[in-house]
Amino acid sequence: MTERPPSTPALILDRVSVAYGDVPVLEDVTGTVNPGESVALIGPNGAGKSTLIKAVLGMVPVVRGRIEVLGGPPAQARRHVAYVPQADTLDPDFPISVEQVVLMGRYRWMGRFRRASRADREEVAAALEAVGLADRARDRFGTLSGGQRQRVLLARAIAARPRLLLLDEPFNGVDAVSQHALLEALAGLKAQGTAVVVSTHDLAIAHLACEEVCLINRHQFGFGPTGEVLTPERLRATYGGRALELRGDRVIVGQT
Amino acid sequence: MSLIEPFQTPFMARALAELIILGVLGGTVGVVVLLRRLAFLSDALSHTIFPGVVAGYLLAGEDGVFWGALAAGIATAALLTLLTRRVAQDAALALLLTTLFAAGVVLVSRRSGYASDLTAFLFGRVLTVTPEQLWQTAAVAAVVIALLAALRRPLLLRAFDPVGAEAAGVRVGLLDLVVNVAVALTVVAAVRAVGMVLVIALLIVPAAAARVLSDRLTVIVPLACLIGAAGGWLGLVVSWEASIGYGLRLASGGTVVLVLVAMYGLAQAAGLVRRRVRLGRARTGLEAVQ
Repeated sequence: MTERPPSTPALILDRVSVAYGDVPVLEDVTGTVNPGESVALIGPNGAGKSTLIKAVLGMVPVVRGRIEVLGGPPAQARRHVAYVPQADTLDPDFPISVEQVVLMGRYRWMGRFRRASRADREEVAAALEAVGLADRARDRFGTLSGGQRQRVLLARAIAARPRLLLLDEPFNGVDAVSQHALLEALAGLKAQGTAVVVSTHDLAIAHLACEEVCLINRHQFGFGPTGEVLTPERLRATYGGRALELRGDRVIVGQT
Repeated sequence: MSLIEPFQTPFMARALAELIILGVLGGTVGVVVLLRRLAFLSDALSHTIFPGVVAGYLLAGEDGVFWGALAAGIATAALLTLLTRRVAQDAALALLLTTLFAAGVVLVSRRSGYASDLTAFLFGRVLTVTPEQLWQTAAVAAVVIALLAALRRPLLLRAFDPVGAEAAGVRVGLLDLVVNVAVALTVVAAVRAVGMVLVIALLIVPAAAARVLSDRLTVIVPLACLIGAAGGWLGLVVSWEASIGYGLRLASGGTVVLVLVAMYGLAQAAGLVRRRVRLGRARTGLEAVQ
């Protein structure tokens, strides 16, 4: 990780537009994420947050503009990018242990035929330690709570040693203990120089987890330091003025 | 009832060898089918190779069946991969497989006395397996199992977390094609022995039974192979005993499948006990804490 020139941004979005067929999903998103920085993607459901993440992963083509990941096109950076899906999209009956899930993060660094090495095992153990689940390694993935499963998926990403980490709504339906563990682990990754992009519709979490935010709803409504961008005016614009309450300096956005 | 005596005759020994190989192959591929929820696709493949089976038979007799099935299997595996990725419509799939199946029936009906041929295709003739056919089955099993073993990591990732697999750079389309071809090859290898209608049982039942008995893949895969092979063995013993000892002619393919299903029933019962015991342990643990 040290060989990286410090000047290369982890992610550059340059007037990015994404469409599914003829239907535009996102237009003109621009911003930069540097190593060790974290950005919260904020917007209502259907705003295009997941689509933007998929575009950064190179899974959805960009129709206009440019995405650069670690100084190159997304498809070339995959080895250094980790993605954390929402835990509840995965089958809880799948016969797989917590340890095996985290080991998947090591696949990209393992040969096709080689067995997991001692170093791989140590990475897996350290990643589980980082999310506070070292004692659940042998349990079946589906027997854990939703929040714990989300932590296992983050551990899998940690084990991949990514330089850019993308998380899709990791705090949805997560209990307080797991939320705290997730935030701690994310802070640890940032301290090691990993750039983090988190999609969420929880503004309080955005404040806690990220120093920058990107407000989107089809278009971009702001990108910059959390304190500057999360203003009532911009939020009202992003959410179309619906269900917005202000309590002191807190902004609460109702589910749309 | 002797478990070994029936296999002193060469044709029974060959039938046993064929069914053990198919049991191991079906068990391995079956676990992939189970994890990827490809039961419907497997059933579809068992129908779409039918015209290939018939065309091979018409062109080159008994020996042509394997090659006809192989060609049709690989072609329709590719076609089904495309269809399920791009269209994903049940109606399109159903249309394709009834069309191909009907084409097979029309082809076979051009022969006089086609009813007996049709029966052989549908229900198999494991007792007439030749040494050459046995080698073909073994070769297919070796290739398929080696392929799946080499791809076990991307296969597991793809089955567990499809989006994560794609994000990690797994070429999902290619991997799906390989799996579908592996299923097709298994169907091709098994179709002569147990027939098109019963082949799906070899793919589904052992893996499902093993899944009930364990939560660990390192146990499920060998257990499914064991159940598949044991089902073949016991099925042959039962049909032999019924016919020699009691004068009851039981079709061996069908008997094998019924034995497998009975084993699945036993596995379910054992699984129920296993869960009860676990629940009981968890309760005692809870009481101890309280």
